[in-house]
Amino acid sequence: MNFDATDIVLSFVKIGIVLATMLNVTPIMVWVERRGSALIQDRVGPNRVGPFGLLQSFADALKFILKEDVIPAQAHKWLYTLAPMFGLIPAVTTIAVVPWGKPFVIPEMHVFGRTLFEGGRLFEPIIADVNIGILVIFALASMGVYGLVTAGWASSNKYSMFGAVRASAQMISYELALTLSAVGVLMASGSLRLMDVVHNQTGYFVLFHVIQIPAWNVFPMFIGFVVFSTAGFAETNRLPFDLPEAEAELVAGYHTEYSSMKFAMFFMAEYMAMATMSALIVTLFLGGWDIPWWNEPANWIGFLLSALAFGAKVSFILFVFVWVRWTLPRFKYDQLMRLGWKVFLPLALLNVVLVALFIAFRWI
Amino acid sequence: MILEYTVFFVFAAIAVIFGIVVIAHRNPVVSALSLVASLFSLAVMYILLEAPFIAALQVIVYAGAIMVLFLFVIMLLNLQKTIEPRTHPIQQFLGWTGSAAFAITITYYLAKGAVILILPSTPFEASARTIGISLFQAYLFPFEMVSILLLAAIVGALVLSQKLRPQVPLEGAEQR
Repeated sequence: MNFDATDIVLSFVKIGIVLATMLNVTPIMVWVERRGSALIQDRVGPNRVGPFGLLQSFADALKFILKEDVIPAQAHKWLYTLAPMFGLIPAVTTIAVVPWGKPFVIPEMHVFGRTLFEGGRLFEPIIADVNIGILVIFALASMGVYGLVTAGWASSNKYSMFGAVRASAQMISYELALTLSAVGVLMASGSLRLMDVVHNQTGYFVLFHVIQIPAWNVFPMFIGFVVFSTAGFAETNRLPFDLPEAEAELVAGYHTEYSSMKFAMFFMAEYMAMATMSALIVTLFLGGWDIPWWNEPANWIGFLLSALAFGAKVSFILFVFVWVRWTLPRFKYDQLMRLGWKVFLPLALLNVVLVALFIAFRWI
Repeated sequence: MILEYTVFFVFAAIAVIFGIVVIAHRNPVVSALSLVASLFSLAVMYILLEAPFIAALQVIVYAGAIMVLFLFVIMLLNLQKTIEPRTHPIQQFLGWTGSAAFAITITYYLAKGAVILILPSTPFEASARTIGISLFQAYLFPFEMVSILLLAAIVGALVLSQKLRPQVPLEGAEQR
């Protein structure tokens, strides 16, 4: 593979944009969560620091940094310190294979007598366009559980331990449904590359030769969409599936003993994993950066608008995460297991069969 | 080329070091986590061999699924203080001589240069498509046989776990 200085600079620009967005997801989502919960529970919520309380999250972040960092005497010190990183790294890196806008050609430019982007250069808004994109995501997502498990075990606290054991059991059970429900998408697009998955959704389905609906995967494989989203909730340990945390039973679950910035890292990992999961749901089922009923031009306007569309869709799914958290109560443990193995696994398999039939009849 | 060598030696060293930690460390949880790190570095080797699909499978299946299950079992049994089982002197003798012979053989053949250090120059494709096609065409029969074998293993495990404790209801099972 040949690459020159321009490629390296472009890569750094892309990494910078994505990383800045991901790091800002946590404070913004914390604010959305607190104001959203207040809205749902008919309260006011944080409204003192900054306009609409927007700066509250930054005040909280400052508080986290200034708090004392406590390591329990009985804890396994190495693993106790490493565990928040185990949780955070997969959450930050997974987003690298998700495309976030329409590729466009950067035209040749002359700046200070130097020619930049000779003969135009294709800008692909994705950090790593690997041909096993979806598998990379599942691989890294399955590593995320080690943060929880290690934290729970290294704290040597029985409540943390329960959280860790629950986390590993839940993760194994729901990973199956998550992966199987994405198989339909792969069958329809015939590729593991997420760029191809999005391109495959840019067309239209024509119903009864009249009605045009966007060719998003959510329409032919609605079951897969529901199973994937729900299993995604479970993978990110959000309520109704936050058994590893379960404040009412386990104090705070796997992060009971954590304080200061280490606790904040678990917090960041949770919200970043949520953002990645939303980006995945959008990319696999809701057309990615595709704007319905409009053929985006392949220039910077098309790129900007498609990137905005992607951001809007991801924000909506993130809001649904908050909405669900403050609407549904937590499952009991046996209900959780029964739902994963007896409902979602068969449904995901049914989705695969249905998609295979659609493809056989050439409907999609 | 220099970049590839750097990546190879760094991750080879990580794989070997964590592999030693797996067998040397007293704490089973640390051992299990070291095995995860070792398996992860092995996945990097597959990427260097231009087989990213196998690398992803390595992480998903071994580092992701199987090791989580291992950790789950270790934590559930809570193997904090392991009491070393008493060994017979003959066992100790056989263990030491066997592993020493193995180490000597490996070193001998490595020094002799009998190990293939250069990959075949023919481009070798291990993409999802080629692996899928060969699994479902050339190797369809063994593939199906393996799945039947796995099914038999699952059923066997269920039967065994039921027979061992017939009175105690399984967690999550409906006993109303």
